[in-house]
Amino acid sequence: MRKLLLLLLVLTLLIACTRNGGNTKKKLTIAVIPKGTTHEFWKSIHAGSNKAASELSAQGTEVEVIWKGPLREDDREQQIQVVEGFAAQGVSGIVLAPLDNRALVRPVEDAKRVGVPTVIIDSGLESEQFLSFVSTDNRKGGTLAADRMGQLLNGKGKVLVLRYAEGSASTTEREEGFISQMKAKFPDIELVSTDQYAGATRDTAKRASENLLNRFADVVQGIFTPNESSTAGMLLALQDIGKAGKVSFVGFDSSQTFIDAINANQLHGIVVQNPFNMGYLGVRTMVDSLLGKPVEKKIDTGVMLVTKENLEAPDVKTLLHPPLDQYLK
Amino acid sequence: MTRINKSGFAISVIRGFGPVLGLLVVIGVFSLLVDTPGRLLSPNNLRIVLSQTVIVAIGAIGMTLIIISGGIDLAVGSTIALTGVVTALAIAAGYTPSVALLSGIFIGGLVGVINGFVITRLKVVPFIATLGMLGVARGVAKWMANQQTVNMRGTWLNELLVMFPNPSWLLVAPGVWIAIILAVCAAIVLRNTVFGRRVFALGSNEAAARACGIATDQLKIWIYGLAGLLFGLAGVMQMSRLRQGDPTVAAGSELDIIAAVVIGGGSLNGGEGSILGSMIGALIMAFLRNGCQQVGWPNYIQEIIIGAIIVVAVAIDRWRSAKA
Repeated sequence: MRKLLLLLLVLTLLIACTRNGGNTKKKLTIAVIPKGTTHEFWKSIHAGSNKAASELSAQGTEVEVIWKGPLREDDREQQIQVVEGFAAQGVSGIVLAPLDNRALVRPVEDAKRVGVPTVIIDSGLESEQFLSFVSTDNRKGGTLAADRMGQLLNGKGKVLVLRYAEGSASTTEREEGFISQMKAKFPDIELVSTDQYAGATRDTAKRASENLLNRFADVVQGIFTPNESSTAGMLLALQDIGKAGKVSFVGFDSSQTFIDAINANQLHGIVVQNPFNMGYLGVRTMVDSLLGKPVEKKIDTGVMLVTKENLEAPDVKTLLHPPLDQYLK
Repeated sequence: MTRINKSGFAISVIRGFGPVLGLLVVIGVFSLLVDTPGRLLSPNNLRIVLSQTVIVAIGAIGMTLIIISGGIDLAVGSTIALTGVVTALAIAAGYTPSVALLSGIFIGGLVGVINGFVITRLKVVPFIATLGMLGVARGVAKWMANQQTVNMRGTWLNELLVMFPNPSWLLVAPGVWIAIILAVCAAIVLRNTVFGRRVFALGSNEAAARACGIATDQLKIWIYGLAGLLFGLAGVMQMSRLRQGDPTVAAGSELDIIAAVVIGGGSLNGGEGSILGSMIGALIMAFLRNGCQQVGWPNYIQEIIIGAIIVVAVAIDRWRSAKA
C-alpha cells in the first residue's frame, strides 16, 4: 500500500516537472474579488467584468477574468486568503471590493510588493498602494435625490431623513449630499428630522420608520432614505399606516418591490447605482494600467435617478436589468 | 495505555508517516494541476501557506491536548474572536503591545478554565459545555467590541504574520516560528513528562486513570486552561492578520482545527493523537485551500474536497490500525 502511494507520488512529481514550460502565450489574468457571490449586486459586477474581458480580447488584448469571492461570505479573513492566493499565483492584477477598509490593507500592500497591482472597487481602502478607486459617487447620488425632492415639493415643505447606520461611509455620504443640497438649493424646505438611524436590516428599518412616522406622519411632505434596507423598511411602514402615496418618498438602490412601488405611485424616485459598469470599469482600468496607460486615481461609475417617467427608457431598463445571462454563462 | 510505553516514540513516528504521505500527495497532485508546477512551491507561496496555517496550527496544538484527553472544544472560533477583540481593545486603550498580547492569551486561558470547571464541577459533557461557550464567548466579544470592529494604532503585533518578515533573515513570518517552537515544546511535554502521560492515560481510560491515583478533574481543568492559552495566542495572531479586532471572525474555524487533529491521526474517542500529525493535518488543509485556488476551482469544490479528505483520512487510519 505504502509503496504504491510512493510510486504514485513520484510519478505525479515527474509528470509535473515535464509539464513545465507549455502554454506561455501572453495573456492577462485579472482576478476579480467581490465581498460575496450570491447577491444580485455582485452578479452584476461579475457580468460587467466579463464584458470588459471579452471586449478587450476582441480588441487584441487577451484578458481572462478569474472570479472568486471569500469562502465564507462577509468573512474578512477568508477574503484576505483569497487576495494572498492570487498574489502568490502571480495574476496580472487584482480588482478587489474590500470587506473592510483596514483589514485588507496588508494583503493589498503585500501583493504590490510581489508585483501584483490592485484596483479597488465599491468600498474604500485606507491605503495609497492601489492604482485606482472605482466606485459610485455617493455624494452625487444624495444630491440627485435632493433635486428630485425639491422638484416634487415645489421648493417648500417639511422633509425627514432616515439615516442608514452609524459608521457606514457610503450611506453617510449619500445623506450628507442630500442634506447639503437641500439646504443650499431649497432653503424653504425644512428638515424636521435627520438624526434617526434605520439600522442594518429591513426589520430594524421598519421599526425605526414606525417610530418616526408615529411622530411626524402628519407634518412631513417628503421622506428620503439612503439605501435598500432603509427604503424597504420605510415603504413597509408607510403602507401599514396607509400613508404610502400621500408623502413624497425618494429612496436609494433598486429591487422589484421598489419598481412596483414606483408604478403604484408610492415611491417617487430611486437613485440607482451601476454595479455592471463598476465591474466593467474595474477591469478596464486594471488593463489600461497594465498596458502602460495612465489611469485616474478615482473613477465614478455613475448614479441615476429612476422615476415613473423614465422607467421604460432603454438605458434605465438595462440599468435595472443588466444583461446578466449574456455575460454569465 | 499501550502508546506510552517504551516503543511509544517509534509508534508515533510511524503514525506520523501516514499524514506526511498525505501531505506529499496533496502537494504532488496540485503541482501537477497548476500550469507552472514550481508556483505551488515558490518561496512566496510557501510563505503565504505557512502564514495562513499558523492560526489553525496553534489552535490544533491545544485541541490535540484536549482530544487526546478524550474531550472536545467547540468554542475555539469564538475564543479566537474574543481574545482578538480583547487584544485590540487593550492596544486601543493605550497599553503596550506586550501587555495586550498577554491579556489576550490570559483571557483565552480564562475561557478554557471556565470550560474545565463547567465540565468537571457541573458534570456537563465537553461537547455541550463548549457548545454553550461557543455562544457565550462570541456574544461577549460582540458586546465588548460594541458590535463593530475594533481599530487600533499599528504596533509590532501587526507584524507577526506578514509575508515579508523584518528582519528578512527570518525567511518566514515570526508567527510561523512561534508556532513551530510551541509545537516542539508541546510534543516534548506530551511525550516526556508526567503531565503528558497522564493526558494519554485520561483519554485511554478515565476510570483506570482515576484508579491509578490521577486527580482527573484537576487534570482536565489544566488541559482546558492550557489549551485556552494557546487559543488566546491564536486570537492574537488572527488580530495581527486583520490589524483589527473583529468579533465576527473565525466562525466555524473550530471545525478546521478539529479536522486538522483528526486528519493527523487524533481519535475523538481519546487516547490517540500527536502534535506532529496535527501540524501536518493543518498544513494539508492549508495546501488544499491554496491549491484549489491556484488551480482555479470554485469555492464549493474546495469545500467538498476538504470534507471528503477528512472522512478518507480517518477511514484509512482506522483500516491501518485494524490491520496492525
